[in-house]
Amino acid sequence: MKRKDRKKRIKEIRIGNTALWAILLMFLTTVLTSTAQTLYKLGIADLHFNIISIITNWPIILGLCIYAIGAGIMIIALKGGEVSVLYPIIATSYLWVSIISMIFFKEPMNALKWSGIATIMIGVSLIGLGSRKKTKLGGVI
Amino acid sequence: MTTQLWAIGVVLLAAMIGGFGPIFLKKATATLHRNLRSIIFNFNLWAGIAIYAVSTVMFFPALKAGDLSVLYPMVATGYAWVSIYSMKMLNEKMSMLKWIGIAAIIVGVTLIGFGSQLG
Repeated sequence: MKRKDRKKRIKEIRIGNTALWAILLMFLTTVLTSTAQTLYKLGIADLHFNIISIITNWPIILGLCIYAIGAGIMIIALKGGEVSVLYPIIATSYLWVSIISMIFFKEPMNALKWSGIATIMIGVSLIGLGSRKKTKLGGVI
Repeated sequence: MTTQLWAIGVVLLAAMIGGFGPIFLKKATATLHRNLRSIIFNFNLWAGIAIYAVSTVMFFPALKAGDLSVLYPMVATGYAWVSIYSMKMLNEKMSMLKWIGIAAIIVGVTLIGFGSQLG
């Protein structure tokens, strides 16, 4: 019983109107989508546009599966909270992919690209913030 | 590798098309119930999924001609399109914050575009 209570309590932790579990699921989504992008890039070098090459390209197939799982988890996460909290989290995937590209694929990064990533992350967050629902109090939560 | 400009163009186009995905999925949720029939015959659901598939497939040839760190952030323009389509097709309200967000994404993508050509 006690364990059940604790589980219930964890489920009920909220940040504003957003459940903690939704925030954690959103972080999981960013990990999955970043992994999928990495697998796409890994697989693309061997990809030619014939059917055998496409159905035997395991990094791309694995990437697509991971992406689909990530999309499913994201839909669940979006049910548990406000996009104003969840969009800024999903926007971190742009940062993760840049770091992975720099380390794994030796892609050149520079000040312009980093500032572009930062600006995009702010932009996606603002769209999330701008989508907040109005409360009964008339203001925004 | 210096990212080819056509690859950037293809990803921007893919994001513009992909932005319709969530709109159709949102429309689909109105008639979606927990029975197989409402899933199989849900036009909006399949349209949404097909749009996602098309934009993903478009991404692949582009990825062959460019850096992941340049092309993946371009996908963020999809958020801007979703906001605009939601306003036009779902009659959702736009807000000042959303417009500023859209502007920021455009600035960010432009910065990355210039940055990618520096090598």
